Amino acid sequence: MSGASAPRATDRLVRGWTAFVIVAIYLPILCGVLASIGKSRYFRFPVPQYSLEWWQRTVDSIEIGQLVRTSLKMASAVTVIAVVVAFLGALAYARYEWKGRKLYQKLVLLPIFFPQPVMGLALLLWFNALGVTLSWQTAVFAHLVWIVPVVTLVMAIQMYGFDPALEEAAFDLGASRLQVLREVTLPILWPGIWSGALFAFLLSWGNFPLSLYTTGPDTSVPEWLYAKMVAGYTPMVPALGSMATIAAAAILLVASLALRLRRRRAEP
Amino acid sequence: MKPARALDDDAATAVGPAPILRLDGVTKRFGAAAAVDGVDLDVRDGEFLTIVGPSGCGKTTLLRMLAGLEQPSEGGIVLRGRVINDLPPNRRPTCLVFQSLALFPHRTVGENIAFPLKMRGVARAAREARARDLMRMMRLPDHYFARNVMRCSGGERQRVAIARAFANDPEILFFDEPLSALDYKLKKTLEKELKDIHKETGKTFIYITHSLEEAMVMSDRVAVMRAGRIVQIGTPEEIYTRPVNRFVAEFMGEVNVLGARRRADGLYDSPDAPGAFRVANAAAPTGFIVVRPEFLRLLSGRSDAENVIEAEIYNSYSLGSRQQYRVRAGDQTLVLEQSRAAGPAPALDSRVLVGWDSRDGIFVEE
Amino acid sequence: MAAPDATMHGDAAPRAERRLQVLSIGARCAIPVYVLLALGFLAPLVAIVGFSFATPRGYDAFQTFTLANYAGILDPANTVWVSFVRSLVLAGLTVAILAVVAYPIAYGLARVFGRRAGLVSLLFVFPLFVSENIRLYGWVLFFIKGGVLDGTLRWLGLPGGPEFLFSPAATLFGMVYVYLPFMLFPMTLGLSTVPADLIEAGRDMGASRLQIWREIELPLAMPGILIGMLLTFVLAVGAVAEAKVLGGQSIIVITHDIEIAFTYAQNWPLGSALAVLLTILVGVLTFFGIARLDLDRILGRR
Repeated sequence: MSGASAPRATDRLVRGWTAFVIVAIYLPILCGVLASIGKSRYFRFPVPQYSLEWWQRTVDSIEIGQLVRTSLKMASAVTVIAVVVAFLGALAYARYEWKGRKLYQKLVLLPIFFPQPVMGLALLLWFNALGVTLSWQTAVFAHLVWIVPVVTLVMAIQMYGFDPALEEAAFDLGASRLQVLREVTLPILWPGIWSGALFAFLLSWGNFPLSLYTTGPDTSVPEWLYAKMVAGYTPMVPALGSMATIAAAAILLVASLALRLRRRRAEP
Repeated sequence: MKPARALDDDAATAVGPAPILRLDGVTKRFGAAAAVDGVDLDVRDGEFLTIVGPSGCGKTTLLRMLAGLEQPSEGGIVLRGRVINDLPPNRRPTCLVFQSLALFPHRTVGENIAFPLKMRGVARAAREARARDLMRMMRLPDHYFARNVMRCSGGERQRVAIARAFANDPEILFFDEPLSALDYKLKKTLEKELKDIHKETGKTFIYITHSLEEAMVMSDRVAVMRAGRIVQIGTPEEIYTRPVNRFVAEFMGEVNVLGARRRADGLYDSPDAPGAFRVANAAAPTGFIVVRPEFLRLLSGRSDAENVIEAEIYNSYSLGSRQQYRVRAGDQTLVLEQSRAAGPAPALDSRVLVGWDSRDGIFVEE
Repeated sequence: MAAPDATMHGDAAPRAERRLQVLSIGARCAIPVYVLLALGFLAPLVAIVGFSFATPRGYDAFQTFTLANYAGILDPANTVWVSFVRSLVLAGLTVAILAVVAYPIAYGLARVFGRRAGLVSLLFVFPLFVSENIRLYGWVLFFIKGGVLDGTLRWLGLPGGPEFLFSPAATLFGMVYVYLPFMLFPMTLGLSTVPADLIEAGRDMGASRLQIWREIELPLAMPGILIGMLLTFVLAVGAVAEAKVLGGQSIIVITHDIEIAFTYAQNWPLGSALAVLLTILVGVLTFFGIARLDLDRILGRR
């Protein structure tokens, strides 16, 4: 950072603008929380009477419990598959030199530079043309198409810093290939793998456009929320929305802390 | 066309003990280009051999082939009579100290050093004992055992890397420019320590560097490499005083080079300096006369040396205990060095006589 | 020094067997990703191309070939091309607005925030983990009659909030809101590649702050800025949630038309033709945008 001795006017403007935008970003989430803690079925501000009963009803609802299970199933499946595929993909991206690598690096970006709703619709067509029944599993596949490239990039960024001499040294010092993987490669790349898994889980958990078109009869949390926004609004909608958001924040927090703890343990 | 086998000046090798490592026409090609081109080399048991050469001469590739990290395109690598071309690095009785050291950043000093033993399944207590022994050998304080390796200084990390290489008790240790990133003082200290360790352990060391100073200080023998081939191999003294060609002469330090052409009367004249020069041990009609700066002298008169050139002082440099002068004779710049004690410094731009004796000059053909 | 794939080879396998390993280890690691993309990205695109040439309202893809669907789109009597134009305009405006909105933040992340930059980045990444309909609905709750804005203003004694929702302006607002991270992060990456000592050298040579920005920072950061603009545009042109939730369908965007064609209208060939046109637009822009990128340098040297 170019250390200016005194905070310049531009710096203050930048900080102010950033703060303003951050507030604007989280404002709708706050509104969602406000709409969920009112007693009445219809939202009015200022809230005439506060109550947590809609939150209670959301937690008790069997239908919502089913939704959460579906979303969790999908996110877990996506995470497991994405981590494996993206790990290999990241090795190909950043670790090994091979002939088609430059082209590969660009091709992997393509699903990221493509609007998700259109991809979802194209997949819908594709599944229907193949006669595949839509379910949460087809949605998992749809999620993977977008999420694997993202996670590949996340892991590749970490892998660029990996010194190949470490593997060679381990090999030279007598380790078998499996031992090299277990003792050197995976421990050092672990933070990247962990971040990638986190991204995969959270991106799948919060995904709407791909799920909307490819889950078929199954419903994920974002899909249900959308349906209820259109017709049949109750404060359970913002309640569930807020809960989903808080869950995502909690997972992110716990995972980052776990990473930091592990890093601190590595340096006595 | 394979170059002639790079022979030692010491022809008595023929009756000596069998070499621990023999390279037979080892070649490595990347595409059409040969990074290593038909290298023949005998490494003696327990010697400290340094391979020097400019960047890109193939020395790193050669070392990696010896360690097993690359496969030769042609030729054989023979360790104690056994061909080891196809033996992977984890099964060769050799160890490589990498240029970047390749210390495992997620492990402590002790864990790094004990790593090879862990790979072989040695029990924890025995591993730890041996690691501590090695730390002692490398003059690392004992309490460093549990310290994370990235918290150590550059010199300490260097020692850890070397200790780790010894853990498996290899027959040959390879060093890939390990001291190049260190500052001068640390480098000098470690150079001497490496030489001591070599003497204490009696292992064979093969060391590569682009710094001739390191090569001269530490090695039993030096091999000069260029464009994938070994140009000359011998003791540091031999390489320095009897270089086989201009490249080796110039690589081993700053030298004066004059083109030479034999005249009818046996003396040589040069397009680079006026006069006729006497050359000792000259065989060919054309070549170069190489004179090291320390043998070029400031003369008080024409009879002071066999070969004399008129010149004027262009610049002078202080090298601590020695003084270096650059003199110009026509288009040619010559370099001469003398100790401070040799006499008062001549003034800049003054005309002087410089010269050397034929026995102090080296004649090379190319 | 860089020998191709000699890192992990050499398990004492005979030479002949090694020659059979035609693919290097890097290529082999890429196979799962390639398979996934082939089945999940390429194949659906091929499918929609096939369907775009099928008989309108029919299902005979790859069996017939007709340009009727494309003709229908270009027919001025049909209003479908209006959606295209609307999407393009909205996306263009989104990019323009976000370029201005995101730049100071990107500058802050690259130069001003120092150690806090990580935390600030996290605050901007987190919304990506919250589905956009939740976030957009929050704005509905903000702007709606009786909502947060309207209610607060009335409570303060002022006349109520503006009729903002369910208009094209609201759609644009929603898009700016949703796509901010996609403009911000490439921009930040671009700005952070400008070495600080170049700025100092510029100051040392007597340039004013504006000149330094114009002559040094902006040109060097331009690749990142352009990528941000590209990414935002291609994503925004295919956006639909904003138009539905905040725009109340006051504007029908192209993706919504595609969705209608695939679902209610059951006109797969028309929907496919629209999607193909959109894909061509996105594909061409992306191709020119990323063709000459040196990804190793952008992602690797940090």
